[in-house]
Amino acid sequence: MNPEYSWLLAAIPAAMFFVIAFAGRYLPRGGDYLGVAATGASFVLFFALLPDFLDVFDAEAHVLAVAGSIEWSTIGDFELRMGVFVDPVTVVMFAVVTTVALMVNIFSIGYMKGEPRYYWFFAVLQLFVASMLMLVMADNLLLLYISWELVGVCSFLLIGFYWEKRSATEAAKKAFITTRVGDVGLLIGILVFWKETNTFNIQEIIHMAEGGQISETYLFVGSICMFLGAMGKSAQVPFHVWLPDAMEGPTPVSALIHAATMVVAGVYLTARMLPVFAVADHMLLIITIVGLTTALLTSAIAFAQTDIKKVLAYSTVGKLGLMFVALGSGSVTAAMFLLMTHAFVKALLFLGSGSVILGTHHNQEMDKLGGIWKKMPITGTTFFVATLALAGLPPLAMFWSEDELFAAAKDEWGLWALALAMLAVFATGIFMVRLFIRTFTGQPRDPHVYEHTRETPAVMTGPLVFLCVLSVLSGLVVFHGVGTALGFPGGISEFVFQHEPHRYEIDWALAIPSVLVALAGVAIGAFVYWGNDLRRSTALANAQPRAYDLIRNKFYFDEAYQYVIDRGVLGFSYLTSWFDRYVVNDTGVNGSAEVTGYAGSVLKLFQTGRLPNYAMAIAVGVIGLALAGLWLRG
Amino acid sequence: MVPLENYLVLSAILFSLGVYGVLARRNAVLILMSVELMLNAVSLNFVAFAAYLDPDKITGAIFAIFVITVAAAEVGLALAIVIRLFRNRATSNVDEAATMKW
Amino acid sequence: MATEVLWWIFASAIVAVSVGVVTARTVIHSAIFLILSLCGVGAMYIFLTVEFLALVQFLIYGGAVTVLILLALMLTRGGGTVTEKLNGPQAPFAAAAGVALLLILTTVAIDTAWPGDTDDLPDMITVTPISEGLFMDFGAPFVIASVVLLVALVGAIILARQEDD
Repeated sequence: MNPEYSWLLAAIPAAMFFVIAFAGRYLPRGGDYLGVAATGASFVLFFALLPDFLDVFDAEAHVLAVAGSIEWSTIGDFELRMGVFVDPVTVVMFAVVTTVALMVNIFSIGYMKGEPRYYWFFAVLQLFVASMLMLVMADNLLLLYISWELVGVCSFLLIGFYWEKRSATEAAKKAFITTRVGDVGLLIGILVFWKETNTFNIQEIIHMAEGGQISETYLFVGSICMFLGAMGKSAQVPFHVWLPDAMEGPTPVSALIHAATMVVAGVYLTARMLPVFAVADHMLLIITIVGLTTALLTSAIAFAQTDIKKVLAYSTVGKLGLMFVALGSGSVTAAMFLLMTHAFVKALLFLGSGSVILGTHHNQEMDKLGGIWKKMPITGTTFFVATLALAGLPPLAMFWSEDELFAAAKDEWGLWALALAMLAVFATGIFMVRLFIRTFTGQPRDPHVYEHTRETPAVMTGPLVFLCVLSVLSGLVVFHGVGTALGFPGGISEFVFQHEPHRYEIDWALAIPSVLVALAGVAIGAFVYWGNDLRRSTALANAQPRAYDLIRNKFYFDEAYQYVIDRGVLGFSYLTSWFDRYVVNDTGVNGSAEVTGYAGSVLKLFQTGRLPNYAMAIAVGVIGLALAGLWLRG
Repeated sequence: MVPLENYLVLSAILFSLGVYGVLARRNAVLILMSVELMLNAVSLNFVAFAAYLDPDKITGAIFAIFVITVAAAEVGLALAIVIRLFRNRATSNVDEAATMKW
Repeated sequence: MATEVLWWIFASAIVAVSVGVVTARTVIHSAIFLILSLCGVGAMYIFLTVEFLALVQFLIYGGAVTVLILLALMLTRGGGTVTEKLNGPQAPFAAAAGVALLLILTTVAIDTAWPGDTDDLPDMITVTPISEGLFMDFGAPFVIASVVLLVALVGAIILARQEDD
């Protein structure tokens, strides 16, 4: 297969979107098999193309393939081209997106069974996947922006899938509007770079930025604006508020959004533009600080959540923060590695929680669950593995990627960044163990729910097992031997890199503290909640009531936004509505009408309709003309 | 001899009287009569100018003949209109035919 | 000298009867004054030596047009009612307009320096040059005028026709 066919990866699901959207309702089972076939085809096609990608890999140029581009439109001297650009970062994204999308598609057949608008769910799912695949292979910012918005629209449609529920439509709106704030920044950033370089091509922009052809101010402003877009999409503080609310969507969608298609777009964009950001002043420090703030704040919030999916949502935001820390430390390797392992683990966790929700007949509150491991052995076991993986225990996947991150953070920023990142990992261990214990172990809190709990069908547990294997093993690609065995030039750090490839070696001075921190988190979590007993945690909450209030109310972010919107936006709206009502409407529209009407009511008096008056007017006119003639004659 | 100005002033007087009649009268037939007065004043003017100033001498007479022709046509039409008005509204006063009023 | 005296007598008479046309209290009186005024103008044509035109004036105006007017008065019963007010409410303004026009026209007539001899009266203008002019030099307007008359005739008939409904 020629690597230039990579555009087919996105084209197949996109075509299937139209097929299912228009014909799905007439097909048996809503055409769900078409969705699976489309993502499956992309999945297979990717692995068919992979050897060819690797063949054309040129270590010097750090480019896999520029698979051509076509002319889109020509405006004067300006020629707009769009095309496909594939490099190791894109390859990693391809792998993550196609794998997770396929698993989610299969899982959805079981999860969405009997739901209304079944076919529509699968149609939008295909468009979602296609948009994300197009996003990661776009060679210019304009195509990237289009895909970016398509991803946003799809997430809007899927979060608001149950639009009969008011909370779902609210959540969809919140997600769309919050990310929109960032998207405006992205658009401004794109235009700033276009103004400076006269091109949308990403590689050309990077080349010019590194060559110092973009003035410092424009470089900084453009980078900041673009990073705002990434923050919005990746739910970084202060844009993180939409992601937990996005749990209103069907659970497979949450898995897709969190693992593969939505939130990682911001990480991808930052990774893609990192050479530009690295040249801008202080940009890397800003990215690191945003990432660390997000990781710590959301980890704290996750302690007090009782909804399974919300805990997972906050953990996602935290991990995305860590990815930004990796990027801020200049390590594309760590960020993409973390992104990949996190995608598998988080997809597993969300699909697992979906399995729990379906198995317990739509119950996702920890307070009503407990002790269902026995009833749902496969779900419980895979969830247990994923919990430990997310907590960062070796040799599970995320340990290795976090190890890369710690090394990069320490090298770039020193001990303070390392310590804060470790703190976030430590917190993750505690609340993930809390989640697992309270959901799966101990005594059932609600016997009624417990009685009706049953294991889900194979179409759902299958993807869980597959992802569980990936969650355990995918971290091992860091080793040189594993990478070469798979056909890569080496481990992931020798494949995905920005400046120099390096072979991974275990740094015991870093690995031991890392293991200890993760273990400590898990151990403390296990100690506090052992046996699904809430006495210790309640005592903890009572000891620090203020801190507990703060994290339970999510640091009052939503309330602050609401206050600003009420006072600022509504106040401004009131002003504009006043302007519209009294100046535009009353003065402008009605005013001109009234002036005309009044003039008419006065002028109509001249039209008496009586013949003698008209004759008189003629006579007066004649006399006037005659006088004028006399006066002119002198 | 009678100078040209005498004729001009006489025609001006006739014309002004006609204008007054058109503007002051209510009855359509009376207005028509005043119009005839004005037309005659104009004709007199033409003929007087031709007689005194035109080398051909006859142009004014021919104009007068055309004026008389048109006046005859006009009187015929106008009286038909008056009769129609009277039949429809039982009046020949123009200020009572005020349906064009706002 | 005798001609001048005669002219002044005729001119005064024309003005007098014309004033009568626009001020008479009944429509019939107005119509009779109009006949006199039109005939006076015809006399003026004789003073101007265009005797053919005077003849036309007497025949068409003095005869046909006034008969037509009297016929219309009869049909509209306008002649019998003395009590009806003949002047409209804007009569004073009409008088003002008339006076203004008179002043303007008189001023222009007297002040203008007319080219040529304004005191010289021509010889008799016979019917021959008039007919030559009318049928040769002004042939086209003559034909058009006949069409105008025809159209006016048809229009008058249509307008005044008694409808069967």
